[in-house]
Order: sequence, then C-alpha cells, then structure tokens
Amino acid sequence: MVKPSRSYRVFQGVNGVVLTLVVLVTLYPFANIVSRSFSGERQIRAGEVTLWPKGFNLTTYKIVFQDSMFWRNYGNTVFYTVVSTAVAMILTTCYAYVLSKKNLKGRGVLVGVAVFTMFFTGGLIPNYILVTELGLKNSVWAIALPNAISVFNLLVMKAFFESLPTELEEAAQIDGLSTYGILLRIVLPLSKAVVATMVLFYTVSFWNSWFSAFLYMDHSDLMPVTVYLRNLIAGATGAGNAGAGTAEMSQVGASIQAVTIVLTALPIICVYPFVQRYFVSGVMLGAVKG
Amino acid sequence: MKNTGELSRRQILAAAGFIGLAALTGCGSGDDGGDSKDLSKKQNGAMKEYQAGQQFKASKALSFSMLHNDNPVYPLKTSWLFWKEVTKRTGVTIKPVDVPLADYEKKRSVLIGAGDAPFLIPKTYHPSEVAFVSSGAILPVSEYVHLMPNFQDKVKKWRLEPELDSIRQSDGKYYLLPGLHERPKAGYSLSFRTDILDKHGLTLPNTWDEVYDVLKALKAEYPDKYPWTDRWSTNTPFPCGALFMYLGQAYGVKAGWTYDNISFDTKAQKFVFTATQDAYRQMVEYLRKIVAEKLLDPESFTQQDDQAVQKLLAEKSYVISANPQELVQNYRYNLGKQVKGSKIEMVPVPLGPAGPVLLSGIRLENGVMISSKALKSADFVAMMQFVDWLWYSDEGQKFCKWGVEGVTYTEADGKYRLEPGISLMGSDPDAPKDLQKDYGFFNGVFTYGGSWELVSSNFSPDEKKFQDVMSQRKELPVDPAHPLQSFEQEQATLWDTPLKDTVIQNTLQFVLGKRPMSEWDAFVAELKAKNLQQFVDLHNKAYERYRKENG
Repeated sequence: MVKPSRSYRVFQGVNGVVLTLVVLVTLYPFANIVSRSFSGERQIRAGEVTLWPKGFNLTTYKIVFQDSMFWRNYGNTVFYTVVSTAVAMILTTCYAYVLSKKNLKGRGVLVGVAVFTMFFTGGLIPNYILVTELGLKNSVWAIALPNAISVFNLLVMKAFFESLPTELEEAAQIDGLSTYGILLRIVLPLSKAVVATMVLFYTVSFWNSWFSAFLYMDHSDLMPVTVYLRNLIAGATGAGNAGAGTAEMSQVGASIQAVTIVLTALPIICVYPFVQRYFVSGVMLGAVKG
Repeated sequence: MKNTGELSRRQILAAAGFIGLAALTGCGSGDDGGDSKDLSKKQNGAMKEYQAGQQFKASKALSFSMLHNDNPVYPLKTSWLFWKEVTKRTGVTIKPVDVPLADYEKKRSVLIGAGDAPFLIPKTYHPSEVAFVSSGAILPVSEYVHLMPNFQDKVKKWRLEPELDSIRQSDGKYYLLPGLHERPKAGYSLSFRTDILDKHGLTLPNTWDEVYDVLKALKAEYPDKYPWTDRWSTNTPFPCGALFMYLGQAYGVKAGWTYDNISFDTKAQKFVFTATQDAYRQMVEYLRKIVAEKLLDPESFTQQDDQAVQKLLAEKSYVISANPQELVQNYRYNLGKQVKGSKIEMVPVPLGPAGPVLLSGIRLENGVMISSKALKSADFVAMMQFVDWLWYSDEGQKFCKWGVEGVTYTEADGKYRLEPGISLMGSDPDAPKDLQKDYGFFNGVFTYGGSWELVSSNFSPDEKKFQDVMSQRKELPVDPAHPLQSFEQEQATLWDTPLKDTVIQNTLQFVLGKRPMSEWDAFVAELKAKNLQQFVDLHNKAYERYRKENG
C-alpha cells in the first residue's frame, strides 16, 4: 500500500479541523435550544443561557405534559404519521416500480402526470372542496391521501429501480416468479437503502406537517401536536394576549419555543440513528457476477 | 386505424375543456334562496315580538354552527358552563367549529372561499370582511338589522351611525356586525420607570415636550444608554406601530397601526393624503430629533418585542410603549422579579399640537360576519334575534363577560365580584378555577364592547386611572363615508400599496436621520410620481357621489 503523501496528510488534518468546526457550529443552536428549554425565565430573558441550562426549571414541560390535550394530540401525530407513511410508501413504491420499466407503454404520460403536479396545483380552495366532498374531513385520510405521493421521492425511487440490473429480474422470471413476486422478493430486499430513505423522508414530513390537519380538522382533539404547539406559542408570546401574567405563564412564554422544538424533534432524533445505517448504499456490490 | 385504443390529444383537450366548463357552471347555480326580502318563511323558532331588553328564547330548539377562535390560554372545552347556559336561556345550541387562533384568518378564508363556512363567523376585524364582499358569500347584514332591536338601540343611543357609515361598501351596505363601544377605549401609551425618575428628581411628563425633557435628563444621567427602547415593530408593515399610533394622535394624524393613506380634512371638507400633511411632517421631525440625540434606541424599529422587553428588564432602557395588560402582567411583574424596588407606570398619552383628542373610529370593535347560506335557512330570523341577544343586549353581554350571577360572580352597586375560588387573568393565583379556562366566560369571541359601565367593570387600578383621563378627551370626527365601487377599489388597491410602502420607508429614513429633512419635497414628488393625486381624487369623487346619493 502506498503511504499517503505528506501533503495529503496535511489536507486530512485541515479537513478534520474544518469539518469539526462546521459540526460544532451546526450543533450549537440545537444545544442552545435544549438548554433554554430547561432554563429559568429570568436567565432566558437576560440572554444568559448558552450551552448549559441556567436556573434549572421544568415548569413549561410540566404545563405542557399536564395538559391532556397535549398527549391526545401527540397520539394523533403518531397515528397520522404511521398511517400516512404506510400509505405513501405503498403507493410510491408501486408507482415508481411501474415507471422504472422501460418497455411500459405510455410510460412518458405516467411520468408526465406526476411531474405536472410538481409545477401546477389545483390551489387551496379546490383542494379543500375536493377533500370535503369526498367526505375525508375529520379523518386521517384527509392527511394521508392528498400527500401520499411526493413526486420528488417518486423520481428518486424510480431512478434507483432503474439502476437495478434487468438480468436479475429476468432470472427471477425464468425461475417462475410473478410480477408481484419479483417486486416483493427480489427488488424490495435489494432496495433497503432507498426504502429506508423514503420512509425517513415521509415520516419527517408527516411528523412536521400541520397545514392539512389544520385545514381539514374541525375539533381540537383531532389536531396533531404540531398545531397544538403552534397555537400555544401564539398564545404565550402574542402581543396583548389575555390571561398571561401568572408566574407560570410568564415562564411558559420565555421557554415555550425551545420546549416545543425539543418535543417535536425528539422522536425523529431517536429514530434517525436506526434508519441511518441503511443509507450506506453498498447493497448492490457483487449481486451480479458477469 | 390510427387511434385505436388510444385517445388523441385533441380528444383529451376537448374532454378537459368540457369538464372545466361543467365545473364552472356548477359553481354558478344553486342560488335559489327565493326572494331574499321575504322573511315570512324563515320564522322557524323565532320570537313574534322580540324587543330590546327582552330575553330571547327560541320557540323550538335550534342549533347554529359558529367558527370558534380557539385561544390557547383558554382552549375550548365542550364542558364549559357557557355552552349549557346559552342553551338553557335561549334554546339555541351553538355548534363550534374549532380553529386555532394562530391561523384563524387563513382557515376563515378557505372555508368562506370553499362555501363551507359556518353560519356565524365572529372575531372578524374590519376591513378583512371586504375581501369576501364581491363573492357574495357574506350576508349584507345592514339589510337585516331591523331584526336586531338591541343592536339598533345601541347604535342610536350611542350615536354610532357615522362609525357604521365608515364601514359601508360601495353598495351602501355593511357586511360586518361590529362590536359597539359606548365610549372610546384607548389602549397604548408610554410607560416610565418611575423609581428612576424619582431618583433623579424627575416627574412624569404630560406633553411630548416634557417627554423630550425627561429623556434628555435621563440621557445626562446615563450617557451610554438609550433611555427609551420600543417595540411592536414586527408583524406590521409600519414599525413601532403603537408608538406612531399614539404619537400621531397627539399630532392629529393617522400613523403606525392606524396609518391610512387618506385622511379627511374637516376644514377643507375633502380628503387629503395623510403623509403629506404638515402635522405628519412635524411628527416625523419630533421623532427625528429624539433619535438624533440618541434618546430612542434606533433598533426599536426593527427588533422583536422580546428583545425590547429584555432591554427594559436588563435596565438598558427605562422607557417603553405599553398597554395596561403588558404593563402589569409583563413589565411590572418581570421587573419586580429582576430589579429590586423597581416601579413602572404608564402615562396618559402625552399631549401634542392637536390637544386633548382621541383618534376616531375606535368605538367599533371586531365583530360577526354571517354566511349568506344562513339566509336560506328557515331559522334565519331566530338566528338574527339570537345574535342580537347574545352579542348586543345588556343582559347577553353581561352574561358573556361575567357568567351566571351567584355561580361565577356577584354584583352590587355596579361592582362585579367573582365568587370565591374563581380567578380571572391571574387575579387570584390560588383559586382552583378560572373564569375563562373552566367556565368559558370572558371569551374574546363573545366578550367585547358594550356600555362603559360593563367595559370598565374589570379594569385594574392602573387601567382605571389611565382610562379615566383618556375618556375625558375629545374624539375626532369620523371620516365621512366614501365607499368605492368595485372597479375603483381595484384601482385604488393598486395605487395604495406602493404609496403606503413609500411613506413607511421614508418615514423611517427621515426619523433615523438617513435622509435629510431638506429632501421632504423630493419625497412628496416621489409620492406624486406614484399617483398620489389620482388616488386622492378617486376618494374625493367617491365621497361626492356618496353624499349626493345618500344626503
């Protein structure tokens, strides 16, 4: 093995330092948010909180946790995210797999239909009327169905499927697998990387989304936690809000944004490390011997 | 054959066009409410002889849908005593559609646009109802106020006709049932750290000249600080919206939150452009002097409210804009925790060249829009009577605000006292129950306006002192009605925004000293290049026309 040249080692050193700095700069705001969420009101208002919590205080967490509506809405978020992601994955995978077949007639039209929606939408009110007339309002389907296929994700998946060697599928066909068998038993197991990525993309976007729920849900006990927290921020920090002023509300006003960010980001942060290992796309190495 | 099994592009286009056409015509139809003036078939549940001061009670059980602005401070509960008591007293069940406060306007627009709006749409601030007028989705309520004796009674008793005229559209009708105030209620003014003033032998100022003197004296004591930092600069096109509002009031001009491109000149009996009046220029010069001498923090015009308050709490500044709630619940409360012996007080709006005046138009509040669909309902008359009772009768207003006598409050000689164990906005921190959170009264959706006695019944001592002085001041006359026709409105909107932007940008540049006052004429010329004259003429034309047609 060739010994790395001196200049290369210097480069590696500099690279390491620069990247570490970038990581620190990226992490700092988040660390700050976390410590703010645990800090006392006076310290936050005086701008004293940097990396570690000062004047440790859990009032805001307590207030948020004690509200039964918070848990209910948190449960809604989990439910909406799981159902929506499942629906989205099934539909996107099927669509992308079909589109990846070069011999499919009318493939251009099918791609065109999808891409068209990237540039043009029906607009807010027509969408609202459509969803309402279909009777989807106040149900999980109002969130899951209209957002089921993200065209960007679809195209990424299609590209991935296209990169799979056709010989594999031909071999499977000769061995007697049906179309669905090929998809489920050959293609998907080889596509863990892209499937994991898509699941993550969809999960994050459904987890963070609030607008469709806000639009299509008429009762606060159907809202996801994002809407709940959004409203809490508006109430705690809005000018001239009535009802603040007790010691608790004042503390809530100071740290609510930080608490909110921590609470909504936490589950995604917990899930991420487990999904991340699939991102390494080395699955295909040695699959075909030619 | 060429086209077997496949549609040609032309066929697809034709089909799409046909579907589009069908959808369009579909939207247009369905407007068969019969003669809208004939209300004889819409009397279901209504009272035959309903009069002002009388308890409304539907003759059969009814229910009406209503958009509910869900305030996170007191989130909606179906168990509220309010809902039950409304039904008990009136026989009407309100069916709330719950919308988070943070995005209330957005959802309201979508619901109205999609034709899916509830019958009652409260918490609407003029002029946001204007956007819905041309669609016909909102009822021109002025045609039906004869069903509302309490509303009419209060308009007459408190002489609110000019105010109502000011919200009329070009068809001479108004589309919003506004909240009605007997007396104007001022909201904002300057607050001072009185302990600091005392320490240096200063007194609270009464006029803007005295404000300048006090600031100057504070600057002499603390040369490296800005004595005054200000807020309410975000979420508004006009930064320091509150400050400009009450400073403008002292000069008799509309500025800040109340800025409007046109103002009525009572002497000349015509509309003029607001920012080119002499008084506006004087106001700008006054503030320019304050900023130039480093008495007002220049960041005031860009910073977040929190930053401004933090400067106050960290004693980097001693003066800030306030309203009675912020004064007590935010500044005083937080200062008390951070600075020992601190005192902060709000002064009545300092007097300026215009003398002791109040800007006009503040006797109307946000109010209720009614969906046009309601008119087609057989319950229409009963619904109007119900709205009249709940929002406009003395009894209804008292009920919405304080609740049920003997359960939530007691009243003696016009003084309201909450029952023990009930708190309102932190009045009794140890109380197990809260009037808003647990009973649903004092809800911003239902509670606003009313007689001075009722409005002032919950003032804190600070607010009472402030309001007592302010209510002695004279209200400037309301701008006369000058509704634009829809094509004029479109034209006016096109001119309005660039003019407003230019005014706001340049007001700030002059105030911050980035543009010399000698360029004021150049600024006026820039406005003229942006159709100032045509814009003013358009409004004057509408004014003349309305005067001719309606006397």
